[in-house]
Amino acid sequence: MGRLASLLIFVGLAALLLGAPPREGSPFTPCPGPEQTLPSQPLAIVVNRTNSVDDLSMSELRKVFLGERSHWPNGRRITLVMREPGEPERTTILRDVCQMNENEFKNHFLHGLFTGEILVSPKILATPIGVRKFVFNVPGAIGYLRLSDVDNTVKIVRVDELLPEDKGYKLHVEAARTGN
Amino acid sequence: MNFFRLTNPRSSRRLLARGRPPLLLLLTGWFTLVAPDLHAQQAADVVNVDKQSLEVLLERLDRLEARVRQLEADKQQSTGVHMVAASAPYHSNNFRQASVAPAFPAASLSPALISAPVPANSFMPASVAPVRPQQATVNPTPASAQTATAQQQESEQSQTENVMAERMDLSKTLLRIRGFGDVSLVGGNQQANPATNQRAQTTSFALGQLDLFTTSDISDKFKFISEIVFEAGPDKIYGVTTSPENTFSVDVERYIIQYSYNDYFNISAGRWHTGIGFYNTAYHHSTWLQTTTGRPLLFQFEDRGGPLPIHTVGVTATGLIPSGPLGLHYVAEAGNGRESRTPLISEPVQNVIDDSNHKAFNFGVFARPEKLRGLQTGFSVYHDVLSPLNSNRISETIMAMHAVVIRSRYEWLNEAMVIRHSIIGEPKVYNTPGFYSQVSRQFGSFRPYFRYQYINAARTEPIFPDIGLNEGPSAGIRFDASEFVALKFQYDYTVQRNQPNYSTLTLQIGFTF
Repeated sequence: MGRLASLLIFVGLAALLLGAPPREGSPFTPCPGPEQTLPSQPLAIVVNRTNSVDDLSMSELRKVFLGERSHWPNGRRITLVMREPGEPERTTILRDVCQMNENEFKNHFLHGLFTGEILVSPKILATPIGVRKFVFNVPGAIGYLRLSDVDNTVKIVRVDELLPEDKGYKLHVEAARTGN
Repeated sequence: MNFFRLTNPRSSRRLLARGRPPLLLLLTGWFTLVAPDLHAQQAADVVNVDKQSLEVLLERLDRLEARVRQLEADKQQSTGVHMVAASAPYHSNNFRQASVAPAFPAASLSPALISAPVPANSFMPASVAPVRPQQATVNPTPASAQTATAQQQESEQSQTENVMAERMDLSKTLLRIRGFGDVSLVGGNQQANPATNQRAQTTSFALGQLDLFTTSDISDKFKFISEIVFEAGPDKIYGVTTSPENTFSVDVERYIIQYSYNDYFNISAGRWHTGIGFYNTAYHHSTWLQTTTGRPLLFQFEDRGGPLPIHTVGVTATGLIPSGPLGLHYVAEAGNGRESRTPLISEPVQNVIDDSNHKAFNFGVFARPEKLRGLQTGFSVYHDVLSPLNSNRISETIMAMHAVVIRSRYEWLNEAMVIRHSIIGEPKVYNTPGFYSQVSRQFGSFRPYFRYQYINAARTEPIFPDIGLNEGPSAGIRFDASEFVALKFQYDYTVQRNQPNYSTLTLQIGFTF
């Protein structure tokens, strides 16, 4: 009887905790909406030119950026390229693709590396030029660049069959955060 | 006056185009009269200049080669060829000037050398560019795909060579290390139990496991993982204390060489955490990663009185099962299984010698559906045959299932299992059921949590003479004081069969470094 009462209390507590609405201003709350209405620039997902992959769904992209997919279809290992924390491009990827904040992203990779499920941690690069060079040099690399930073040394991958210039493309960097 | 500029065909065409034929005729006549002298003078100058230049250039070429060697050596000593290539300065030309200019004053350089532009997107280290002036002069803007392809092939080759050189460089380690640790203050009212040598609980500061987690990318396909843990005794195996109190010892908890063929097939050999259920392969030996101060009793380590074969030595295969949005994964393991000789006080993990030829097998499947982010649900079946001395062999089957939801704000972990021991040749079967359920919710930096756990082993259970009944709730709160430091305060209430119930309070600081 006592055990049953404990279980009932437990289930009630669980329902209470899980059902509570998210608190405004929590560090785990996604970035606020108003800035999303500001002018923005498409963020292109780029891979090495030798990569045969042309199109990724948002779901696949998320798995790639979370390290849940570690190999390309040709068997080559995926090397993830990220900008430094705080960069608008990184913020866009974390918010729109990973659906995580910075701490969650770090913990996710720390946890994944610890369990062995994630093979390598992302390479952190400081500049768009650095990203471009890295992706150009490393056949299994995938990264992201503002469309204006893309040149013919890298290949743009469609996301949900859309190119960055296409209407409905989901990844945009907020221009207001760039300082440009 | 620059002679070559005046006699340049393009200059002549410009003069003709501007409608100044008289001037052109005058210049042509002057050239006819003066040219032989100029030619002789020029030839003499050229000879003199070339001798000097040759000496200077040869000397500078030597310096340049030395500089290139130095840069290449520096490059290999940096954190990795990838990062070197990627972290090249924003303006490649600036980098080249900075590194080469001191040895090559611009005024004394050949025009071909100093004017050779390095394309902004060039992958080639800028400092190497001057040793290939022809390439730079002939094709200063490698925009065509053909050139890019050639450069890329060269780059890949260079990269491979550098990576190989890095791996062959014995002067530096390829290890990456992360540490985990915890310190606790524990107190409670558990009473002494002479039957199990359990002493009365005292309030104590307790050093937790110091966990050094190391990984190494041996190659693109091979990876090494280890977890080396320093922990203080006493070890307690199946209720028997087997090591002195307060004495530190070292355990290699994980020791894995992993080959990753693709996402569908990864095979590993060594010692790992057995893929039974969820908790065992999710948190390993880190308390910082866990929400609570410790593992559920079901998943306690073997040397802390846990009932499961937490570690296995052998081979394991893991990977995805093509299943679309269902996100199915498999785990298949074969290993030595647990030590089963009586008395059960030796090392429970058979690291080197198995006590029988029979191997333990474990197979599990779990799903991570795309539609329900954070949900993982699955089952596993483990089978081994234990061989106690002076007794019939015992068939051990462990069936486990789990359903967990882990999201940023909340987690809900649920696991249940049955450990089934049947004595071969006898009709006796012992089923030990157990479960735990844990829920937590994040509020800013605070995460209150609650757990209820239960395990019930029969009094006559042949392998677990000490476990009996253990159940009770735990409640606590975790406070993330910084990115990698967590403070936890937990209360446990434990109910045992034929023994007084007891409470425990734990204050813990867990961290990663």
